[in-house]
This record gives sequence, C-alpha cells and structure tokens, in this order.
Amino acid sequence: MNDPVLRIDNLTKRFGGLTAVDNLSLSLPRGRLQAIIGPNGAGKTTFFNLVSGLLSADSGRVFFLGRDITGLKPHEISRLGIKRTLQIKSVFGQLTVAENLWVTRQAGSRFLHPFRAASRDLETKARVEQTLEQIGMTVLADRPAGTLSYGDVALLEIGMALISEPRLLLLDEPTCGMSPAETERAVEKIRELARTIDIVIIEHDMEVVFGIADDITVMAQGSVLASGSPKEIAADERVREAYLGRPEDEDYVEEAAHA
Amino acid sequence: MKRIVIERCVLTAFAAFMLSVPWLVPALVNTFWVSVIAEILIWSLFAASVNLLFGYVGLLSFGQALFFGFGMYGVGIGIDQLHLSFWPAFGLGISAAMVMALVSGVFAVRLTWHYFAIITVVFSLIFYFIAVTMKPLTGGDDGINFTLPPTFSWGSTQWSFTNATFQYFFILSTVAVCFYLMHLVIRSPLGKAFLAIRDNDVRASLIGLNVYLLRLTAFVMAGFLAGVAGALFAFFGRYASASYMFYHVSGEAVVWAIVGGAGTLFGPIIGTSLFIVIRELVSTHWEHHSLIVGVMAILVVILAPKGLVGLWHAGLDRLTAHGEGDASKLTTDAKLRTDP
Repeated sequence: MNDPVLRIDNLTKRFGGLTAVDNLSLSLPRGRLQAIIGPNGAGKTTFFNLVSGLLSADSGRVFFLGRDITGLKPHEISRLGIKRTLQIKSVFGQLTVAENLWVTRQAGSRFLHPFRAASRDLETKARVEQTLEQIGMTVLADRPAGTLSYGDVALLEIGMALISEPRLLLLDEPTCGMSPAETERAVEKIRELARTIDIVIIEHDMEVVFGIADDITVMAQGSVLASGSPKEIAADERVREAYLGRPEDEDYVEEAAHA
Repeated sequence: MKRIVIERCVLTAFAAFMLSVPWLVPALVNTFWVSVIAEILIWSLFAASVNLLFGYVGLLSFGQALFFGFGMYGVGIGIDQLHLSFWPAFGLGISAAMVMALVSGVFAVRLTWHYFAIITVVFSLIFYFIAVTMKPLTGGDDGINFTLPPTFSWGSTQWSFTNATFQYFFILSTVAVCFYLMHLVIRSPLGKAFLAIRDNDVRASLIGLNVYLLRLTAFVMAGFLAGVAGALFAFFGRYASASYMFYHVSGEAVVWAIVGGAGTLFGPIIGTSLFIVIRELVSTHWEHHSLIVGVMAILVVILAPKGLVGLWHAGLDRLTAHGEGDASKLTTDAKLRTDP
C-alpha cells in the first residue's frame, strides 16, 4: 500500500542525437489524479511509451506498485493492469463498438477459446452492456467504430479502459480535438474514474488540467522541471517561463514588447 | 429479418447443389465437370488459407504453396516410400504442413506487410529448390506418382478414390469440415482477437493481446488448411510434385481470395470457382486466358474492394434497408476497406 503506483528511476531514452527522456526520476503516489504537462517535445508521450512497453529504455528502471516492469512486453504490462490510450485516437475501426469492448475485456485472459462462439460468453456480454450504458453508447453498439465521430471514439476509448478494470490508467491527451461539450463530458468521466483508479493524464488544455488534477508534474526537455499542486505550479516562475508564458500567449508578447 | 431468410435460402440452395453434383452435373453437362468441381473445392480450401491470414489477421502471405506442397509430399512420400495406408498418409501430410508452418512462422510473423510477404516468398522458394534437387525423395520436376490405397476397408468391401462419386464426396465433406472449423474460429474469442490485430496491432498489444503468439497461431492454422488442401490434391491427382510449391501457385490463391472477398468466409469459394470455371471454358479456345483473369482482378479490386462477396452484402443491404436511413452503412462498408 505504501509503494507509489509508479516510480521512475533515472529513465533515459535517446533517438539518435536527441535525448527525448533525460535521466527522469519521479514517484507518483497512489490515489491521486496526476497530470503531466510540458511544451511540445518535452518527452511526455515518450515517457508513456516507455512505461507501457512500446519503447524500451536505454537506461533506468520503471516500478509499478513496487514491481520492476522495465523491459516487459506491452501485452505483459497491460495484463499487470496498466492500460493506456494513444494520443491519436485509435480503436479497432472495422469492429463494432460492442466488439471493441468485447475484445478488450477478453484480451486479458490467457486462453482464447478457438471454437466456442464469442457471443455465448454471458459474463462478458453483461459487462459489455453495462459499459455501453456507463459511457452512454448503447444505441451505437452495432456501429463499426471506424464510422464514429471523434468525440465518440474518445468515449469508446474510455469505455475500453473501463471494461479492462485497470489499476493504472495512462491517458494521452484525452480531450485533444474535442468540442467544448465533448471535453466536458470526457472530463466528467475521467473524474468519475479517478475515484477508483489511479490515473496519469497528459494534457495540453490548461483548463482541463487545472480543473481535475490533484498533482501536476511539469516536464521540459526530457526531465522534470517542477511538480506540486495546481496552485504551486501556477505560481512557479520557471514553469511560467518554460511553458505557460509561450510567445503565442498574447499577454506575454505584450509584456515583452513593453519591457 | 428478411436478410437472414435470403442468406439461408442461398446457402441451402448451394448445399443442395453441392450434394447433387455427381448426378446433376453429368446429366446437364458431362462427368468431366464433376472432377472440375472437386478441384475447385480443393483450391477453395487453399484460398481460404490465404484468406485466414490476410482477411482476418492482416498478413499477406505469398508463400502458402509451401504448405500445400508439404501436404502433397506428406501423402506422396508416405504412400510411395513409407508404404503407409490412406489415413496415416493423410495425417502425415497435414502434420508436415503444420510443422513447416510453425518453423517458418516463428521467423515470418515477426514481420508485417511487405516484409512478411517477402519472407514467405523466400521460404517457399528455398523449399521449392530443395524439393527440385532432392530427386530420389521427391521426384524433382517429374514428381511422384503412386497408387492410392483404399480409404475404408470393411471386410471385403472397399471404398476408394477409384470410385468417382466417393472421391467427390470425400473431398466435399473434408472441405466442408474445414470451412466449418474456420467459421467457428472466426466467431470465437480467438477470432475476435485476430480481427483486433488486423485492425490495429499496437492497440491490440496495449489491451493485453500477445500479438506475436496470436499471429503464429493463425499462421499454423493457415498451414493446416493449406496442408489439408495439398493432401487432398495429392489423393485427387495420385501424384505429388514440387511445381505446386512454387510461389506462382501462392499468388493465384491470393488473387482468388481477394477477388472473392478477403475477410469473408465464402469469398475464397466464389473467387476460386470463378477463375477455374473461366480457365476451363476459355483455355481450350484461347491460350491467353490469364488475360481475362488479370482484367477481372483489376476491375474487382478497384470497383469492389471487399470482393464479390462484399458486393453481394452491399446488394443485400440495399435490398433490405428500404432506404430508411441505412444508406450510411453501405458507404462505410466500402470506405472502411480502403484504409489498411
């Protein structure tokens, strides 16, 4: 219980000459909704890829609830209970919404029955129906996922995360590209999920981040620049410089011009 | 539920036709066409092996002839040199194909797309040349001719392939069983996992699917289908030859599966029937019959990306939708196929 949900020790990943994640160390305690922010190229998504096993680190270690998961394959990490969404929304486009949930639920089991009809698995069927209701997509159950609107795909992704009963959920820009109404709906779902699941979220929308995060970690150039409560981060000078006060921020540009 | 009724009717008519072939076809045309239909069944099974990999797992193999050839040689060598009877030879052919699929699959399924296609061609070329050079065992280019042992002996009564009707029904029932097994797999949890990998392999690994192991499973299953087809073809022709291991043979099955409709159970049967019937009708009059095959393949790929079975599904949709807002479904079917 005392182990942090995620502990990172001196994690480094280089792509040729570029060091995407540079000697990163951090410890995320359990039971809090963590947000990671940082300018483009800060290494946030690379960090997620290292944790979920899509990339292997050059050095350093990753611990999940005290267990060393460095170097495990993506499906092994997934089966331990770390689920993630991808920055570019991706579901199984030619499967229906219900099938997407179905296969996600089943993927965790070691044995996939080769000859019994999938529809005969009543336990999974009930879970799929329950999840469809939770994300409000019951009417879309038989639609191929490739034909859904962007916001519905994002909701389906959250549904897929839900049905797999994760212990840690990594969300990579869940509200990216959403309309304000869709964002509101997604934020509400994430808040609801956070009551029972540990969540780490990468997000660019500051309104979303400061609205839902318990703790914020700011990354820049592959390592941690600052971390703390939303209030502390908002007041942090270095963060304002590196991130919040980007040149495209009009006030900042005006200030700079007057200075 | 009108749609289900139509589909059931078509399926029943098809089954009835297949069961009456040995009597109906000689009465309508001649006995030669009974063996053409038996051959179509065998090649459909071979095309189904391509379809399982490409249509359901997203792996385009140009090397399935390797496993067809192993099925053939398992039977040929089993009977000619090991003096096995019918069933052990059949078993040897199928196991040889599956073992070969496992061995080559261990390397091949690490790769995807064109790399996968290339490595499957390479494997089949290597073993083609080995088979051609090992003349004492394989007969090389000439192949092995053998006399077929009886399938069942019951006291003094024997059932063997010398009886054309028995031969036809043996092939029909074996192919039917294989298609039924494939139907079961497609609807099973394993089949859904295959589809997930076909659609998005990175996502599949993130939800906890062991993509490598599942692809290997599919590859060995496809090896089974190709092996059964090869073994049946050896029984049917009473010979085994290295020429059937050449990748040209694999390529034909790819065309049959895609034109018929990859990712549909019956696509390979439709595609194979179409091209073999064309070949039989045209080749006696015109030696360039493969030109027709090429033109048709191009037309289908451009106009009906889901193949002929896809066209049929779209037609059924239009027929049963009554234009009530279901038009979107028609277009999405066609659209979905275009993104890889």
